[in-house]
Amino acid sequence: MNKRHTQRQKWWWWSLMGVILVVLLVSAAGTSPTEGNSDDRLFAIAAQIKCVQCVGESVAGSAAPIAIQFRSEIASQMNQGRTNDEILNFFADRYEGVLLTPPSTGVGSLVWVIPVIAIAGAALLLAESLRVRRSRGPVQQPSPEDEALVEVALEARHSETSVTSTDTTDDP
Amino acid sequence: MNRALGLTGLILALGGSLLAISVILTGLKRSRPELMRMGRAYSFVVLLGATMAVAAMERAFIQRDYTLKYVAEHGSSTTPALFNVASMWSALEGSILLWGLILAGYLVVVAHKFRKRLDDSLVAWALITMFSVCVFFFGLMLTAANPFRGNIPIPGFDGPGPNPLLQNHILMAFHPPMLYLGYVGFTVPFAFAIAALVTGRVGEGWLVETRRWTLFAWGFLTAGIILGAWWSYEVLGWGGYWGWDPVENASLLPWLTGTAYLHSVMVQERRGMLRVWNLSLLCATFSLTILGTFLTRSGVVASVHAFSAGSVGPILLGFFALVVAVSVGLIGLRGDQLRSVGHIDSPLSREGAFLANNVVFAALAFVVLLGTVFPLVIEATTGDTLSVGPPYFSRMTMPLGLTLLLLMAIAPVLPWRKASGELLRERLWWPAWTGLAAVLLAVLLGATGVAPLLAFGLGGFAAGSALRQIALATKRLGWRGFVGRTNGGMVVHLGVIVIGVALAASMSFMSQGEFTLKEGETARVAGHTLQFLSSRTVDQPNRVELLARIKVDGEQVYEPKLNRYRQSGQTIPTPSVKASLRDDIMMSITTAPSESDPSLGLRVIVQPMVTWLWIGGLIMVIGTVLSLFPGRRRNPLDAVSAAAPIEQVSA
Repeated sequence: MNKRHTQRQKWWWWSLMGVILVVLLVSAAGTSPTEGNSDDRLFAIAAQIKCVQCVGESVAGSAAPIAIQFRSEIASQMNQGRTNDEILNFFADRYEGVLLTPPSTGVGSLVWVIPVIAIAGAALLLAESLRVRRSRGPVQQPSPEDEALVEVALEARHSETSVTSTDTTDDP
Repeated sequence: MNRALGLTGLILALGGSLLAISVILTGLKRSRPELMRMGRAYSFVVLLGATMAVAAMERAFIQRDYTLKYVAEHGSSTTPALFNVASMWSALEGSILLWGLILAGYLVVVAHKFRKRLDDSLVAWALITMFSVCVFFFGLMLTAANPFRGNIPIPGFDGPGPNPLLQNHILMAFHPPMLYLGYVGFTVPFAFAIAALVTGRVGEGWLVETRRWTLFAWGFLTAGIILGAWWSYEVLGWGGYWGWDPVENASLLPWLTGTAYLHSVMVQERRGMLRVWNLSLLCATFSLTILGTFLTRSGVVASVHAFSAGSVGPILLGFFALVVAVSVGLIGLRGDQLRSVGHIDSPLSREGAFLANNVVFAALAFVVLLGTVFPLVIEATTGDTLSVGPPYFSRMTMPLGLTLLLLMAIAPVLPWRKASGELLRERLWWPAWTGLAAVLLAVLLGATGVAPLLAFGLGGFAAGSALRQIALATKRLGWRGFVGRTNGGMVVHLGVIVIGVALAASMSFMSQGEFTLKEGETARVAGHTLQFLSSRTVDQPNRVELLARIKVDGEQVYEPKLNRYRQSGQTIPTPSVKASLRDDIMMSITTAPSESDPSLGLRVIVQPMVTWLWIGGLIMVIGTVLSLFPGRRRNPLDAVSAAAPIEQVSA
């Protein structure tokens, strides 16, 4: 390791980086609009509702008459001061499966739960298999014949070429 | 005439494939190499048949030959020439025909490339696998999805033309062929994987044979997906480029598993590990292309009840099940030979990072697949209707995407086998500062929100690592520092990072509005002014266009259109986009001015950095091409974990 790089090993430089990052993140934490009657809020709500007469489009994305009608309904409810959830529930009560966010209760909530369990399970299994493998040690010990072969091959290589062949995948 | 020619071509291709399989099998069984070598000749027969069929179909479209049912349903005398040619792949039967042609093309290239080794059982089994896939697709075209069904047109009949959305933008001519070159290309590594399993030669040989084929297919799939996103951005007019639509998800799934494979294959080449996993990933990638075709082409996604409408769905599903069963069975059969020779010494190592990468990609594929099929499963089991839409996918994939950015930052600096904290601090110094600088810059530019800021920061961090690798490689090797898998791969990483940052920016900082404007009135969105000047109508052969002249920021004039198609009566807007490196302004007409109401309905969407998505895509393609060139190879006699020469450590 080069001497002029010793500052890279100092813990306080890295802590400083962390502190700056946290300060920046906290100072600029934003929120999405949940009140008022801006178009941005309107389309944020509309993007969570399926256009019931279209294929694969949300109320925000569609140009169909029904989507335009839904958007004006959302706008009028926003003007009445209703919250995002109240507006979404209004549509959910009238049209089955209209919300693009699956429910957090009932059978539908499985779509949220399954991936979390699967990913956590896979990670645990992987960690466990790594631990077992490592405790088992090397799979095979090279036999004296193997080592002799390696010797011969290395010998042959060193005498055969003077070009240093380095690996591009490793860092110098 | 066209019908006869097309059917002859299909029968020729199917017959050639069936004969090829039996001839090669006989050659294998009786150890007669001259029979096995005939596979090459048969591959030309299959290509000839496929070309005849496609030529007949294109000829029928050009001649408006309505004695073909497919042309009568999707052709029209008013379709412009380019879209007329592209009409072939605008619906199910024709797109399977395109699939068949590309498959036959890959078959010929494989048979030619390996022409000196056709009597090698590995190559023979790979060809048998490819011919079998040909049998399936050409068989499908001669039965359930026959593009050459006959029709008796009434005199003066004119077809409706393809779906208006599909004749609206030039990308429609390029996006599907690109995507199919990717999809179908994965047949080649899959065929070699099956061959390796059948012959029991499950070492690293087959991997090395198919490395470039996989990369080639992956590059086309990437380009196809990005062109598709571009098409939907330009055509659909709601400012979106990715809607988590089942069709889009179907193309993303093999991309995810293919990307995982491109990474984990390096662990196997280098350390002899993950053999079962790599075989599974390849089989999964291929079967997901079939499942994707099933999901998108059988009508099963739009509604469960459309299932019985055609027999294509069950056949595709059956083929998918067959592929999965064969793959799983063979892997199980060879299980004892697939045990890895090496093991992972430390999670903090290059192979550990690749493993983590694979977990994340597998998780992404799982989430996307689950979200796509979940509504079907629920409707089939409980009868309830529910939707799994973009809010779900965004929320689930966002943390995984951020994890990938973090891995892209750390993995490239990790050595094989084992890394120390000291080494990481040394190598990650500049990348970490780059990441911090990116967050600072974003905050100064007014960005808010933890998730987008994290994306920018991790993007900068990862870009720092990739640039560091490229800088070190070019310093040592000159221009060769850009080519080869590792360095080209870093260029691909840069493209991915650019796309990641552009995604975060455009999704988080989008502003939009809907306006009703009279001539001369002005709307304001996100600091831009848009003035409605005038409107006019233009008659085209297949549609009536209404054009509105909109002056943006007092400078240039843009003309979004509203098209009314004569044949179908559908009204489709063609948005107009003022694109710049900073932000895009998309204008789309919602309602046309009329006699009674002279005001124009205009939807305006302003999104930052959208152009960078396409630039990032281009960088990814360039990086893939660079990776295809042979890089500096490591000496095969070096130990797998050999350290770099001492004199270069402090360079």
